[in-house]
Amino acid sequence: MGFFSGLAAEKYDRQYSDKRLLNRIFDYFKKQSNSLIVIGIALIVRSIIEAFNPVIVARGLDQVTQQEISLEFIFILSGIILGLGILSWFANLIYRRFSAKIIAVIIQQLATDAFKASVRQDMSFHDSFQSGKIVSRITSDTREFGQLITLSTDVLMQLISSIILAVILVQTEWRLALAIFILVPLLFLLVMRYRHVARKITREGMRAMANVNATIKETVSGIAIAKNFRQEDKIYDEFEDANQTSFEVNIKRGFALSIVFPVLRTIGGIATALLVYFGAMTVTEGFVTAGAWYLFLSTLDRFLFPVMSLSSFWTNVQTGLSAAERIFALIDAKHSVEQIDSIFPRNLQGQIDMQSVDFSYTPDEPVLEDFSLHIEPGETLALVGHTGAGKTSIGRLIARFYEFQDGEILIDGKDIRRFDLVALRRQMGIVSQVPFLFSGTVEENIQYGCPVCNRPELIRIANQIGDGEWLETLPNGLNTEVGERGSQLSMGQRQLVALMRVLIQRPSIFILDEATASIDPFTEKQIQTALELILSDTTSILIAHRLSTVKSSDRILVMRQGEIIEEGNHSALMAQGEHYAELYNTYFRHQSLEYVEEAKKYVRK
Amino acid sequence: MTTSTADNITEFSFETKYETNRRSPSLWILSHANHQWPWILMALIGAISNAALASVVPIYIGRAFNEILTPSPSLALIGRFALIIGLSQTLRGILQFGRNFGFEIIAQNIEKYVRQELYVNLLGKSMTFHNLQSVGDLMARATNDVREVNYMFSPGFNLVIGSLNFLFIPLIVGPSFHISLIATPAAFIILYVFALWHYLSILNPITTEVRQNFGKMNSRLSEAIDGVEVVKGSAQEEAEIQRFRSNAVDYRDASIEQGKVESRFLPMLLLGITMAVGLAHALFLLRQGLINIGDVIAYFGTLSLLGFPTFVSIFAYSQISLGFASADRILDLIKTENKLDQNTEGYAQPIKGAIKFENVFFSYDDQEHILENINLEIFPGQTVAIVGQTGSGKTSLVKLINRTFDVNEGRILVDGIDVRDWYLESLRNQISTIEQDVFLFSRSIADNIAFGKQDATREEVIEAAKEAQAHEFIKSFDNGYETVIGERGMTLSGGQRQRLALARAFLTSPHILILDDSTSAIDSETEDRIQKAIFRAAEGRTTLIITHRLSQIRWANLIVVMRKGKIAAVGTHEELMEKSKSYRQIFRE
Repeated sequence: MGFFSGLAAEKYDRQYSDKRLLNRIFDYFKKQSNSLIVIGIALIVRSIIEAFNPVIVARGLDQVTQQEISLEFIFILSGIILGLGILSWFANLIYRRFSAKIIAVIIQQLATDAFKASVRQDMSFHDSFQSGKIVSRITSDTREFGQLITLSTDVLMQLISSIILAVILVQTEWRLALAIFILVPLLFLLVMRYRHVARKITREGMRAMANVNATIKETVSGIAIAKNFRQEDKIYDEFEDANQTSFEVNIKRGFALSIVFPVLRTIGGIATALLVYFGAMTVTEGFVTAGAWYLFLSTLDRFLFPVMSLSSFWTNVQTGLSAAERIFALIDAKHSVEQIDSIFPRNLQGQIDMQSVDFSYTPDEPVLEDFSLHIEPGETLALVGHTGAGKTSIGRLIARFYEFQDGEILIDGKDIRRFDLVALRRQMGIVSQVPFLFSGTVEENIQYGCPVCNRPELIRIANQIGDGEWLETLPNGLNTEVGERGSQLSMGQRQLVALMRVLIQRPSIFILDEATASIDPFTEKQIQTALELILSDTTSILIAHRLSTVKSSDRILVMRQGEIIEEGNHSALMAQGEHYAELYNTYFRHQSLEYVEEAKKYVRK
Repeated sequence: MTTSTADNITEFSFETKYETNRRSPSLWILSHANHQWPWILMALIGAISNAALASVVPIYIGRAFNEILTPSPSLALIGRFALIIGLSQTLRGILQFGRNFGFEIIAQNIEKYVRQELYVNLLGKSMTFHNLQSVGDLMARATNDVREVNYMFSPGFNLVIGSLNFLFIPLIVGPSFHISLIATPAAFIILYVFALWHYLSILNPITTEVRQNFGKMNSRLSEAIDGVEVVKGSAQEEAEIQRFRSNAVDYRDASIEQGKVESRFLPMLLLGITMAVGLAHALFLLRQGLINIGDVIAYFGTLSLLGFPTFVSIFAYSQISLGFASADRILDLIKTENKLDQNTEGYAQPIKGAIKFENVFFSYDDQEHILENINLEIFPGQTVAIVGQTGSGKTSLVKLINRTFDVNEGRILVDGIDVRDWYLESLRNQISTIEQDVFLFSRSIADNIAFGKQDATREEVIEAAKEAQAHEFIKSFDNGYETVIGERGMTLSGGQRQRLALARAFLTSPHILILDDSTSAIDSETEDRIQKAIFRAAEGRTTLIITHRLSQIRWANLIVVMRKGKIAAVGTHEELMEKSKSYRQIFRE
């Protein structure tokens, strides 16, 4: 995952002009200007040393060839080399230390800003975009952008020192220098060509590897079932095929990767040979000194290898910049839910009015049209209907997770848009269909919405549910670790924890999207108790899937395509024998005790 | 491929190409590597001669330099030197390719055989093992860890061996000019080893910290984004932002610390000093007339070859240590022992279906008891419903019957014979288990149904699907029985998967059926179908159902209520309605 999924474009992506993108990037660097100056100086110092080192050796050689060597000369020459070596190491130290710091700081700021933006985004945003991709923008893309910084400075350093060297070489003997420079574009073309081929092979390889990995994963997870049916031979053959394919693909890739450096090496070697001969010729003709000839020989490599990094530089810059673009797109994505005031609600009564509300997730598919609904304080309202009838949307609008397009929603007679959103939601208890827990203990999860609620209170409430037996079934009671996303708990236990979370919060409005997962009958009873505790003194909106929940409500709304087609309580609606009765037959009949009693007879038919 | 005999503890074994030494990770890696000897030979020749030929360049530049300084330099001679350089470097390129590609082949071969060994070993492990081991973990071993072992050879060993040779060149070339010239490179090697060791020993804990901090930041991040509805619903946005910031700052600080350590890379300083000292030394000898200028140039040139090992080493060494860590994990997995044996000499008769638990105690890893003092008698053909909360021991109870696990105390009898006295294959062949998560292969539906009976005809498959109430939904797919599961987003609901598993069971017709049923039916019609399929499956065989369905419980011949590892109540529906309060409660509206 990570890298490749991160590259995919999303709807909220926007095109930044180069100038704007650089400005955004620059903002983050601005705060680091001191460190940047230090890095710049260290970088230039190092480049200069890199360029001058061979020059000094060459000049020294000229001295040696022309006169008697004094001890003093030896000490001066090697002293300079030593000094430069130490200085170069030190400049490198400064450069690395500061760039590591800058990169870490900028990554942290970018990631925090990106996280801040995404957690503040409304639910419609999170519905449309996979969480994995958002996460990858926050972590992988920021890291990739960080790598761009390292890469640019590295290339910059090589470039500066190559240019300085080039100037010196031209000044020394322009014809020889020119001969070397001709090699550079040739090499560049060669490397570009190679990169093209290599990329193709790599891409093919990746695709093949993805298939192989999938097969390997499947054959590993299928072991248990294969053993159950004694089909080891068959599954082994399948594995062997995948393993062999993996081998062949990798060998092909390996070949492409193995060949590049040897080829460059060989070209470098041949170039050196030519330079030895033709350089010697220029020396004998008296164009250059022997030292200068040596200078050319010893610096040839420095023009060859930057070609490698330069050829990939532009692609890397593009990758890094588009990573930056993706991060900024996430940070800048528009919110659709906007509040117009910040009224602080104190002890809401829980009266809810929806007046002529229009709502749709996407412009061409209206979910609610001219929808009106009045809910009394303390009322328990059950919403039933087929999938897509708009039940969940009503809950989401009241929770202010989504923006509606027309009409009004009033809480205690006040426009929902005028409340302080955080304060409003503190007064609401919301349980979604799949209860979500954070890794940590059961207690931490219950306290999530109410960090100040204390343990004795928590235990008191927990004991109201089936005498607290559910706590006993957890291995460490309230201290039980729930695992990542609550995976260590059963679905029923997760629901109980989610309900406890709401119970201690004592909300004025309770919104429940009931789970459809099957739960053992004992836990089911406990969930029902917990639910009754909440319902007794809270305005409740229940998107109901269980017969018991429907029956315990004050009023049932039967919905179809965004409209209320029937309302009343269970027995009245059953007596009517219309829409509700039909829904009952489709969704609730099998939950009734009559069905249980008749199951055997029924099935025999 | 052979099936092993009783003296072997594994349930199954396949012949792999060769045996390996599993005593330690390094011996194990070695026992894999030594089968690659022709390639290793090629790679080593490549590595050594690559380094040797690298020294040709400075040596012949030195000679050319000497020649040019003579009063009448011979261009022909210099041309010969140039030719030697050109040819040697071309040859070097070929040999370097031999080294690179050789290591690549070794690495890929080892990846292949290591994965094969691991897989064969996994196939041979007991059901106990597979039920305890998380599949995610196994997959990580079979893909990532195996790949790390590959990387250990290429680029790991490739670069280390390739560059180590360069360390020795000045050591050999230097003395050829003057014996004392061995001093500087020798000193460098010794100091280099210490400096590198020191560097790695302070770097390792910090990189671990960086990784851990990143992991912590990342996992909370994905949880917060996945659970964003809860975050918002509980009005905890600001708290989450604070939490993320603090995690990100920890990660930042660790990265900065890592940068600090990396910036103090002593081998680089050492190289600078070596070059200077070496030059001084050579010039000194030149002054005394012990060597000539060409030698100075050649010597200085060979010293600069030390740069390669200096800079490549860090990356390569960490690659190798990662490889060893992975090898260790793989080997650990391979060495995990099996507790069950086949018992091929054991009892093997058609099962009638009587099951009896006598004072059974059970625990994983001898810790807390999962099951305590279980006594239960089931008669042939009975349908038994097992109910209880999560963690009450329902699943463990049924897994003891086909010896997925063995009891710690007491015994379990099938048809009056202790399950441990049964021939394992015979026992398991006659007991079919349908798990909570039904695993289906990415093959056609027909293949999946016929998985336990490969020679089943299409008619038999369809008949089984009909019995399992699966025929109708299978027909609704465009490709019917040929529909490939998982292809083009083809997904099945839990209830559909369960019915496919039931169809499998109808085809193999086991004498005992164990069904872990936790699917939920959204609508009554589906529920009818599931009920029908399960009632049909239970006919004519002993059936144990772990279920949440009241109707299954209601109509079972025997109901076992589990609570905290013990049987809280057992009896028929009527009996339990009479004597169990909690049971009564679940049947009250």
